[in-house]
Amino acid sequence: MTPDRRAFLRRSLQAALGGVALNSPLGNLVAVAAAARPAVPSTFSDYRALVCVFLHGGNDSFSSVVPVSPVDYAIYQATRPALALPLEQIQPNTLVPQPDGMPSDGATYGLHPSLAPLKALFEQQQLAIVANVGPLLGPITKAQYQANPLLAPPQLFSHSDQANFWQTSRPDDASADGWGGRIADLLLDANPDATLPMTISIQGQSLFQRGSLIDQYVVRGCAGGSCAAERIDYLGTYQNQLGIQTFQALAAEGAQSHMFERAYARATRRTIDHYETLSALISTVPDWNVPFPSTNLGGQLRQVANLISLRGPGALDMHRQLFFVGQGGYDTHDDQLAIQPGLLADLAQSLVAFQAAMAQLGVTDEVTTFTASDFGRTLSTNGDGTDHGWGGHHFVLGGAVRGGRFYGRMPSLAQHDNPDDAGYGQIIPTTGVDQYAATLAAWYGVNTGDLPLLFPRLGEYDSPNLGFMT
Amino acid sequence: MSTAGIAPSVAAATNDAIICAASPTCRWVSFGAQEEQAAIEGLRGVGTPTIRYFQIAVVLMLCLVARARAADDLVFGNGFEVPAISEADAARFLDQATFGGRPSDIAQVRNLGYEAWLEQQFSAPISLQKPYLDWLHANSQGVYQQARLEAWFMQAAQMTDPSDPTHAHSDQLRQRVAFALSEIMVVSDRNASLLFQPWALADYYDTLARNAFGNYRQLLEDVTLHPAMGRYLSMLGNRKADDVLNIRPDENYAREVLQLFSVGLVMLNPDGTVFDSDPVMPGVQPVPTYDQNVVRGFAHVFTGWNFSGCTAQNYGNCEPSNPYFAPWFTPMQPVEAFHDDTTAKQLLVYPGVGLPGGLLAPGANAQQEMAAALDNVFHHPNIGPFIARQLIQRLVTSNPTPAYVGRIAAVFDDDGQGVRGNLRAVVRALLLDPEARNGHLSAPETFGKVREPIARLVKLWRIAPGASANGRVFQYSHPQDQFAQLPLGAPSVFNFFRPDFAQSGEIRDAGLVSPEFQIHTDTQLVSMPNYLGWRIFWFWQGSNYDIAAAPEETLMDYSELRALAVNSAALVDRLNLLMMSGQMSDYMRQLLIARLDGPLPDQIPGLSGGTTEERRSLFRVQQALYLIVTSPEFSIQK
Repeated sequence: MTPDRRAFLRRSLQAALGGVALNSPLGNLVAVAAAARPAVPSTFSDYRALVCVFLHGGNDSFSSVVPVSPVDYAIYQATRPALALPLEQIQPNTLVPQPDGMPSDGATYGLHPSLAPLKALFEQQQLAIVANVGPLLGPITKAQYQANPLLAPPQLFSHSDQANFWQTSRPDDASADGWGGRIADLLLDANPDATLPMTISIQGQSLFQRGSLIDQYVVRGCAGGSCAAERIDYLGTYQNQLGIQTFQALAAEGAQSHMFERAYARATRRTIDHYETLSALISTVPDWNVPFPSTNLGGQLRQVANLISLRGPGALDMHRQLFFVGQGGYDTHDDQLAIQPGLLADLAQSLVAFQAAMAQLGVTDEVTTFTASDFGRTLSTNGDGTDHGWGGHHFVLGGAVRGGRFYGRMPSLAQHDNPDDAGYGQIIPTTGVDQYAATLAAWYGVNTGDLPLLFPRLGEYDSPNLGFMT
Repeated sequence: MSTAGIAPSVAAATNDAIICAASPTCRWVSFGAQEEQAAIEGLRGVGTPTIRYFQIAVVLMLCLVARARAADDLVFGNGFEVPAISEADAARFLDQATFGGRPSDIAQVRNLGYEAWLEQQFSAPISLQKPYLDWLHANSQGVYQQARLEAWFMQAAQMTDPSDPTHAHSDQLRQRVAFALSEIMVVSDRNASLLFQPWALADYYDTLARNAFGNYRQLLEDVTLHPAMGRYLSMLGNRKADDVLNIRPDENYAREVLQLFSVGLVMLNPDGTVFDSDPVMPGVQPVPTYDQNVVRGFAHVFTGWNFSGCTAQNYGNCEPSNPYFAPWFTPMQPVEAFHDDTTAKQLLVYPGVGLPGGLLAPGANAQQEMAAALDNVFHHPNIGPFIARQLIQRLVTSNPTPAYVGRIAAVFDDDGQGVRGNLRAVVRALLLDPEARNGHLSAPETFGKVREPIARLVKLWRIAPGASANGRVFQYSHPQDQFAQLPLGAPSVFNFFRPDFAQSGEIRDAGLVSPEFQIHTDTQLVSMPNYLGWRIFWFWQGSNYDIAAAPEETLMDYSELRALAVNSAALVDRLNLLMMSGQMSDYMRQLLIARLDGPLPDQIPGLSGGTTEERRSLFRVQQALYLIVTSPEFSIQK
């Protein structure tokens, strides 16, 4: 970070602390202020990483985790005559939870057949299911929602907004940083000797990792068997010393008069620096015993595994890392029965390979992977697909997860008189993204006292920590 | 053109270094430098000694004129013609209105003036993609998405079209506006169900091009009923509710047509700023434009539409079996049995809404309801500022002032003849607006936008004309991998980048947005320079590179630039005009000249043997193009 930027932030902080409300764009900087407190440096001797797997488009989690107990299956089937998965496809993947982690409704659930590879992880207590999570301003009942929709986040059911809410957990602030980025800002001192940012996205610029102090690094996933960092060829051209100097001088700090040019030059310099760092190391990553699927998501998670393998001193020197990967295609308005199985199979196989890689590195307990998505989909269907919903189930994986359990309250799947139905099969979340995120953040290393800085509405909930992490 | 840039150009043009180069007055004249350059260029090639003395005299007079103009901004008449539009200003205008000005375009704008040039563009023959696909098909060539990209590149770069060599693709403004519309009303071949439908996507793009200067209401309807959009946002095959099966109308198109194509999520002021429902409270308290009931209302309206030729009997199973069958490029048609004609639909509510309470009474057929619903959208007060702002962002600047947005939105609301939604008037107004023309002077640190990655290749192909041996435009790799974008290839309906994306750091801290920065990630800032470098260093006419020898490979013609490259400064100044509208800093100019004057490497890409002069001219053109096209200064269109 340049001195200028520090100076700017200091000025902004003064403005922010001078009475501007949390609802202002400067609300982001409350977390920054905490990071700036000299008395509480967040340093760590151990290593931990969080990996966000974003299912773009809104996964239909009501067909990912499906009831198998007869009464409950019948309700599900009646609600979704056109889309219900056959019982015999779910039964082999019936989940047997730990006694203290039974589904809240007493039903028995199984996994979508494509998610079968995850069953073993559930049995090994490395996989937890968090029920019906979604963006909220605080707990809300159907009656409250119907009486006053303003008690719910604005622009529900829109892709961009709900995907943003998931990534910022701040539906009250359109300009908020991502909650991953806020964690990174707060734990600014966690990686004092690191050569790359704490936040790395393998899938483009992610809002989840946008921060005020730390800029995420965007790298490519592995593709076609290659995980190599790409360089700017021109800078490696033979007999091109003057050309290289010219290229660098054009992008040099202080050489541009236009704000956008400065930003472009800064991004170019950063790309070059990060390449130098990564290229020196990437050839030292291990061969993975369990191959990753040759899919886009498989290639992304493989790259995350590579980067985690480089965490040690003398390499990237990381104590805390946040990763963002993503998989698209879940917006199944059409042909859901044809599209979703392939997506979920890719997801499950990629996650299983990733967990195997973590075991190979001996960091099963240090790395936690969790899913996020725009929203759950509607219980009702539009014939061959489902529409934008609200709450949905999510998976958390890793050795530090109190797995083999269900968390939160399972919603009703009834078509009629459903107390969780916002109106058209859109299920009101019974757990807020704030709770889900705060539970992960607390494990990652955020002090309990600092959690409200990251999640200002956390106090609205009786259980700010859902207990799915050890 | 920078101030200091003028002197060497003059020297090069006249082969006489004593003229302006020796005159310190010229060096320090900024106002009028373009006029000098133009006058000198106009005299090029006339070489008798007498005329050369005349040239010298004229140039010296121009220097004095320019100096006088700089001093007190005099306007000269009496037969001494000072061109109204400088070369740099014309190039800058063309950067906004087209994919970049070629020398002939710059001359044309200067001859005609902006307004007459626009009028000429409005009536230029339209270039369409679908006929190119038909031609390939008729010639037994495989037709995939690649084919429509070929057509797009041909039209954007004005290449010779093998399907119709007489067609000059002169509709540059139309193609530029169509590209902007394709980033607002998004359809994408990334969608699995459209991946193998090149005709549908080509015709969708053609639909945008046809309507680029038409009325937004018609555009909205043509987009709504296009089978590519129908498939992409699943209005195609949408059906009325069935309580027994617990089926409800698909909300996909209903939601996005409101959120992205017309009115947006929150109520706007006429200048595009967010309406604040409670000015007393700190911060802006926005008012939602619509709620879920309205989305449901539109979803119910948009029921009963399918491919042309579908019937109630085959409604769920009537997709044309071949991508070149007409229903893929014929407007969707209604099948009333699947249209909801029994429920009232809640549509948009706003001051002056035509339907009482925004409520559409039941009973009308699918066509009537669709028309009524689009009328309801079209007359919403948000649509003008919402669309105006995005068109300005796509063509001119990421951060227009509210006053600029307000002026263009007002033209959208009423073109002066009482017509609402006249895109021709909107395009004209937004390009002629004082902020478009002078924003780089009034806000020199922030005006402009990041150049779109794929437009950089087009720009290169325009200034160093690209052509292939057989007229095809073949690319080995998918542009998505190199540029993170391709026409009608966005990752989602939210386009390659969002209108409100703000690059972290100085831009975001200043409260500004920079949409195109969203795809200029760390990986993109490697892959794009590498790809452009590959084209620049290896794909030129005469290159000995084996891949460049393929008949369908587009090769750039460096002959004009290489002729200039005898003098590094002359080459840099020429490229400054053609690529950067004369806005190159002196710092950058001096760096480039020093680089081009540097030692020749042993190997020049694509060249074996050759004289020192040949090697040097090629080296200079390659280096100059690469260093400019990847530079931070070029990367921002200002």
